Amino acid sequence: MRKLVSLLTIGALSVGVLSACSDGGEGSSSEGSKDDVLKIWSFTDELKEPIKTFEERNGVKVELTIVPTADYATKLKPALESGVGAPDVFTGEIAFLKQWIDAGYWENLSEEPYNAEEVSGDIVPYVFDLGKDKDGNVRALSWQTTPGGIYYKRSIAKEALGTDDPAEVGEMMSSMDGLFEVGEKLKDKGYKLFPDEGSIRWFAQGDDPQAWVNEDNELVLTEGKENYFDYAKELRENNLTALAPEWSPSWFEGMDKPIKVKEGGKETETEVFSYVLPTWGLHAVLKENAKDTAGDWAVTSGPSPYFWGGTWVGIYKDSKHKEEAYEFIKLMTQDEEFLTEWAKETGDVLAYNPVTEKIKTDFSDEFLGGQNNYEFFLGEAESIKPGIVTKYDQQLDTLYGAAVTSYVEGKKSKEDAIKEFKKQVKNAYPDIVVD
Amino acid sequence: MKKLDRYGYLFIAPFWVVFLTFSIYPVFLTLYYSFTNYTGSPGEEIVGFANYTRLLTDTYFIEAFFNTIKIWGVNFALQMGMALLLALLFSDLRLKLKGLNFFRSFFYLPNLITISSVALLFGILLDWQHGSLNMVLMKIGLISNPIDWLAEPVTAQLSVSLILTWMWFGHSFIIVMAGVSGISTDYFEAAHIDGANRWQMFTKVTLPLLKPILLYIMITSLIGGLQLFDLPMLITDGIGSPDGSLNTMVLYLYNQAFKYNNYGYASAVAYGLFLITLIFSAIVFKGMFRNERATQKKGA
Amino acid sequence: MEQNAETRRMLPDSEAQPKRKEDRPLKVVPPKKQKSKHRVVRGLIYASLVILAIICFIPFLMMIINATRTNGEVISGFTLIPGNALLDNYATLSEYINIWTGFKNSLIISVSVTVLSGYFSALTAYGFTFYNFKGKNAMFIFMLVMMMVPAQLGLIGFYEISKTLGILDTFIPLIVPAIATPFTVFFIRQYTQATLHISLIEAARIDGASELRIFHTIALPMMMPAIATMSIFTFIGSWNNYLMPLVLLFSPEKYTLPVLMGFLKGSQVAENLGALYLGIAISVVPIMIAFLFLSKYIVSSISAGAVKE
Repeated sequence: MRKLVSLLTIGALSVGVLSACSDGGEGSSSEGSKDDVLKIWSFTDELKEPIKTFEERNGVKVELTIVPTADYATKLKPALESGVGAPDVFTGEIAFLKQWIDAGYWENLSEEPYNAEEVSGDIVPYVFDLGKDKDGNVRALSWQTTPGGIYYKRSIAKEALGTDDPAEVGEMMSSMDGLFEVGEKLKDKGYKLFPDEGSIRWFAQGDDPQAWVNEDNELVLTEGKENYFDYAKELRENNLTALAPEWSPSWFEGMDKPIKVKEGGKETETEVFSYVLPTWGLHAVLKENAKDTAGDWAVTSGPSPYFWGGTWVGIYKDSKHKEEAYEFIKLMTQDEEFLTEWAKETGDVLAYNPVTEKIKTDFSDEFLGGQNNYEFFLGEAESIKPGIVTKYDQQLDTLYGAAVTSYVEGKKSKEDAIKEFKKQVKNAYPDIVVD
Repeated sequence: MKKLDRYGYLFIAPFWVVFLTFSIYPVFLTLYYSFTNYTGSPGEEIVGFANYTRLLTDTYFIEAFFNTIKIWGVNFALQMGMALLLALLFSDLRLKLKGLNFFRSFFYLPNLITISSVALLFGILLDWQHGSLNMVLMKIGLISNPIDWLAEPVTAQLSVSLILTWMWFGHSFIIVMAGVSGISTDYFEAAHIDGANRWQMFTKVTLPLLKPILLYIMITSLIGGLQLFDLPMLITDGIGSPDGSLNTMVLYLYNQAFKYNNYGYASAVAYGLFLITLIFSAIVFKGMFRNERATQKKGA
Repeated sequence: MEQNAETRRMLPDSEAQPKRKEDRPLKVVPPKKQKSKHRVVRGLIYASLVILAIICFIPFLMMIINATRTNGEVISGFTLIPGNALLDNYATLSEYINIWTGFKNSLIISVSVTVLSGYFSALTAYGFTFYNFKGKNAMFIFMLVMMMVPAQLGLIGFYEISKTLGILDTFIPLIVPAIATPFTVFFIRQYTQATLHISLIEAARIDGASELRIFHTIALPMMMPAIATMSIFTFIGSWNNYLMPLVLLFSPEKYTLPVLMGFLKGSQVAENLGALYLGIAISVVPIMIAFLFLSKYIVSSISAGAVKE
């Protein structure tokens, strides 16, 4: 009997004992061996190269943790809130940028000893401004600029439009009417303008896009935003798309090969003419998926300028290695030698003017048939306004996209779909004023 | 209480120490949050019953409730039907089927893959224009136009139910089979000698003896089913499209908490769901035991 | 609360029926004319079972075959013919992660979880089944009721308590909670009620065995089929657990396989689908094999049948 009692006591206490043991053991190991390591968290392995350079130059050991985008915020939040196991440096995609700036997770870089304001003139204005909080303090910096364009296949342009010159094709598509005209010409030859209806969302809102939510926290549904409904419907009704939704397997497949489309009871094979993607779409999406068609692509502008995505990087406010951390951020965003190499290697369009000025003139990309995409995108970047990003964007875009889809597929009238959208916004964000 | 019965406490003590630490504490923290406007960062304020009054009139939650019931119900009926049928076949003395271990292992395989791979796989199979399923159906002439499975509420819900059945019937089969194997073959032999046919054997011998196990499956599947969320989340846009038909209760909770940062309200949703589960479980228990009494009477 | 007492009532009931077995022959001989029809039926049943098995196996086949093909081949569609890029894929994979470290971590955690969960659930179920202490039913119901609170929001509280105990970035918060697995306790209790009778325990008590000894020598072996069944689910659940280790572990050398797979999706390996499939295959195939092997040991009628005598 005594045996039973003692055994169970051991069992019951084991939790406490184990945790006590680990408490001591863990504490010493994490402070002993890991204290001189700079911890960086990100959602891609993009930072691998810069980290290697950084380690070589500064003799600091860096530990990079990659967390998939979908789980990035879930993992970051508890660590940042509690400070336990938190990184020294972490990146933020534009979808999370405003939220994390507001939450105060990032160190104020406008203060001593960072004085980030000093470089304000050297970084593309909208990129620099997006990293600021409500009070105008810089919280995060970025090395890239992400204006968008339309990537199209030259061979199809030649056949259906009579030219493959980016300037001429861009001219044809410089208005919404022009875009649909091009779509009809492509249809006559058996091609599809876009893979899906969503492709048109950036252009639908016109030259003067507005933020989803204004200063008074009111939902802003401009005429431009509502036009997305009509343009999307027009694309569908005129059979101008290949019905391959963004990021679906067929969407990727359409980049390299003809894909099958079933319309009106029969199946036809068709090729997709163009994809609406920003700078990073070239190396992260197109080059990875279009192998046979490499060299047959070109990039040009659509009816209106837009930008999509971007990654910012900052220092965790309670980091113990702020000095090294800022050294890393400086390397990533302001180091001429490193950034020049980086741009040449990856084709990423940089936000740091001293480097872009130097390299933009003689840039050319084999995949785009030798076109200078760098100069093109830097030109597009000039017309981007930073004020339209809010912390609600990603969720509101998803809700709005679902509303447009239900209209395009004929399940709801435009009015009902908009009404439903407003109801959903109110439900998700009770603090947003919805009329 | 007999003296020996005190040992009961000792036997269950380790369980409760751990359970209280790692499960109950978070659950009560959630209860506290449900009375606040917590957004995931410290600094919440107590708001009284505001979250609960909102829940009662929230049409999205009510819609989510019915969606969940529909999706789970169809799946559960199919899954249990298959599990029972298979267990019946494999335990049949006249058929003497071989390869139980082999089939049991294969039927359980779909449960080994992570849900994200399942969603990816079926996303490709069910694709409207390019999916294999439509290709096959059109080739054999069952349909002339491709069906956009994940764009119509009814077919989307049905698709999710069927995928869940595919994933879980092997699991239920193993448990039912465990129960059936736990029954001494004497019972079947005796019934067989008494001239019972298959159906009588099933209803008079197998089912009554399986009752504790069936109760287990019913309750766990109910609790799991009402908490369904990852497949509906991953297979369309994550907010329950098409037309909110895949918006389940926990998906709604998840979105409120992790997408919209309304942790306080999400906690209230969690307790709303908890109450619903409690009521349903009580009904299941009641139903099971009303039957039990009836069989006992008949037997006597 | 009342239901519990009623569940127990099923026991004597199920004991009652088959007492006639001794005076009848055991062998079952089907009439001869039914034999050919019988064969057709069996054939049809086997055919459907095989089709069902194939439907269940297809994704694994795709995964394994894709693990041997190059990225281009994977994209261009599926075939049943394996490619010859297995070694290249492995080389690509090894460049990015140490998959065997992840394998080791996953194994340590999953085995510990399975053992703890199996043993302590049996202990708890035994306590709930064979003793009548005050508050027993209330506690059992409370346990069941607590399973019904959706766990998604509990993550924050779980993280906080782990932080307070100082066990973040260790395996402890991933392993120790397995001591309290309500579903397993529930299942083993249901199983025990149907198969293990209190008279056995009482007989052992008369022989002078201690309570814990009775549990270890008499009850535990008889609960084994139920424990084995649940162990498989526990093991697989723990092996595939992604969110908890992702949130609780910070050091890459402690990452488990699913977390490493997540790691891969964010890296350039994701652009090499063949290598990605190989990674997934390495994490899944061992449990497939373990499962095929273990499957033999789940619930055989021999052990359960022995209870009755």
